[in-house]
Amino acid sequence: MDYVTKNKVSLSGAEILLESLINHGVDTVFGYPGGQIVNVYDKLPLYEDRLHHILVRHEQGAIHAAQGYARASHRIGAVMVTSGPGATNVVTGIADAMIDSTPVVVVAGQVGTKLLGTDAFQETDFIGLTSPISKWAYQIRRTEDIEWAVSRAFYIAGSGRPGPVVLDFTRDAQVGMAELKGTTCDFIRSYRPIPEPSEESMRIAASMINKAKKPFLVYGHGIILSEAEKELEAFLDKSNIPAGSTLLGLSALSTDNPHYKGMLGMHGNLATNTLTQRCDLLIAVGMRFDDRVTGNVSTYAKNAKIIHIDIDESEIGKIIKTDVGILGDAKHVLSRLTELIDKRESYDWQMEDIMCNAVEKHKVIDPEINPGEGYINPGEVVARVADKTEGKAIVVTDVGQNQMLAARYSRFAQSRSMITSGGLGTMGFGIPAAMGAKVAMPDRQVCLFVGDGGMQMTIQELGTIMQEGIGLKIILLNNNWLGNVRQWQELFYGERYSATRMVNPDYGKIASAYDIDYAFVEKREDLLPAIDKMLSDPTKPFILEVHVKESSLVFPMIAPGRSVDEIMLTSDESFEYGN
Amino acid sequence: MNLLNMETEELYYEVTVYTENQVGLLSSIAGIFTRRSLNIDKLVVFPSEIPGVHKFSIRTHTTEEKMKQTVLQIEKKVDVIKAFYYEHPNNTQKEYEAVRKFLQGHEK
Ligand SMILES: Cc1ncc(C[n+]2csc(CCOP(=O)(O)OP(=O)(O)O)c2C)c(N)n1
Repeated sequence: MDYVTKNKVSLSGAEILLESLINHGVDTVFGYPGGQIVNVYDKLPLYEDRLHHILVRHEQGAIHAAQGYARASHRIGAVMVTSGPGATNVVTGIADAMIDSTPVVVVAGQVGTKLLGTDAFQETDFIGLTSPISKWAYQIRRTEDIEWAVSRAFYIAGSGRPGPVVLDFTRDAQVGMAELKGTTCDFIRSYRPIPEPSEESMRIAASMINKAKKPFLVYGHGIILSEAEKELEAFLDKSNIPAGSTLLGLSALSTDNPHYKGMLGMHGNLATNTLTQRCDLLIAVGMRFDDRVTGNVSTYAKNAKIIHIDIDESEIGKIIKTDVGILGDAKHVLSRLTELIDKRESYDWQMEDIMCNAVEKHKVIDPEINPGEGYINPGEVVARVADKTEGKAIVVTDVGQNQMLAARYSRFAQSRSMITSGGLGTMGFGIPAAMGAKVAMPDRQVCLFVGDGGMQMTIQELGTIMQEGIGLKIILLNNNWLGNVRQWQELFYGERYSATRMVNPDYGKIASAYDIDYAFVEKREDLLPAIDKMLSDPTKPFILEVHVKESSLVFPMIAPGRSVDEIMLTSDESFEYGN
Repeated sequence: MNLLNMETEELYYEVTVYTENQVGLLSSIAGIFTRRSLNIDKLVVFPSEIPGVHKFSIRTHTTEEKMKQTVLQIEKKVDVIKAFYYEHPNNTQKEYEAVRKFLQGHEK
């Protein structure tokens, strides 16, 4: 359509929208048509060669796919849905993207401006619904505003602390005519996405780091979002400070990195949680002290001074009192701090994690991943997949035990290799997010770990996988329970298993209905060959169902609201540092 | 004020928010108060002295700690230019200076 832009011919709003999506680098849009977006769909075939539309089976699938796409690729995910139910169906994903800082742009159809506020067919107050859970929500009422709105949307979604942006696209704007201008946006006067860190605060922080006897660094998603992986590594190499990751920070440091001590929080490693409590200086980078990380806030990192580095001012001091807050981009702040700190070879306290690791290996890890006999454990499946993929796969998870075990027992050789719903904990995230990840990164293996509950929340997307031939690998850890809730019921609710038993369908028949290759494993000796078979062709989808130990529990565990040093090793044994 | 008081002592605050003239901002700002279960005791919205800049004036009562975090969350909204809170109102002139300074050189 080049002649159109050159000659400044008027285009319809629908075309302008598609042109602007393409101008902003969109090559894939996940969506679902309907009455108030049909004008845009009508023009879609004109752009077929530049914009690939993936028809999902439910709009929730579209937004989670866009999230997976964005997280795997550092690009901005794009979603297109109709008004009313199409729009409300993406609300969960918008909330999920907001809390996990994922850049996505959602375009939703809307009724004509004359009908707004009249309860017209499929009218819903989408701006009202989404403004508390999005980074920006804007209603496009005039065709001539489309390019302005789209360019702002992409700038806002991707800059600073990323997040979801909503464009409520009225029918009038879609059908009106205007000229294409090629508008871009890199500035909004009310918005400062990247604050300039204060040199003074960085100097104070550096001197605290230089003086600390037992420093510990914790990092989160911010490292990946600011592409600060190398800077983090350089900081740790120079300072020799041990580090732990939040769930969303996983893969920012390779699991082989000598400074990496594991995952933090409720089901994190003994070492990281113990170091948190024993350190005299906690350096937090690009993380927000979620309660799944801190446990009881009043005893969290109780011996430590706190340095908090974040790009979002409202995070600093929100949960934890900080001694020094550094407002800025992790990449920039870490590289400056690395210049400012002294080189240190080692710390006396560096060995403290070794004892924790020995206990964890003996009491938790070995029994989980190398049980030798009996039922297959879910963590064992994760560990075998990690062996076979050598930590090179993109790991996607659903929510529940499958997620915690995938986080604990996966290995990561490179960044952007862990995609999971952290802050919202959205069951059903897994299948569509893995789809999006595979579409974004077709050359990487994408391995999804999902429970039987979460699998069925978005199982309809198998249709999308079939239609598009998306080669993701679905590893269904079937325990016939809503395992994570069952675990709480067993441990904290007197074994009253209310509404957590799940009768499952025959997944083999489902796979065959969708023409997806499938294997079922319940004996240990069949596991490795089945994984090999699954991984043999990275371009083809595969469902590997493993019947895992039904009453399996995820440990270590810090019970909700408990202090980070009250760690359960098993149902009736807790961890005491030094014993 | 010492830390203990910051966490527990409730005071009256005057919050002022300078924004772009954008539909829907009122409800999203009000929503931030609701989420933190803060009552709005008084609310006035009007065009400020600075052309194109709207001003919200909000009275509420809460602890200093909550007030501070709430104002940061308000300021985080893309279309919010600046937000302030005072234990004692009457800082209008200083605010205008700060808003003008913030916008200086950014009149693209
Ligand atoms: C949409 C949604 N509904 C409910 C929950 C609460 N929840 C968290 S984990 C879980 C059980 C998950 O069971 P399953 O998918 O079988 O995975 P498992 O824990 O057994 O690995 C539930 C119900 C949730 N996180 N998300």
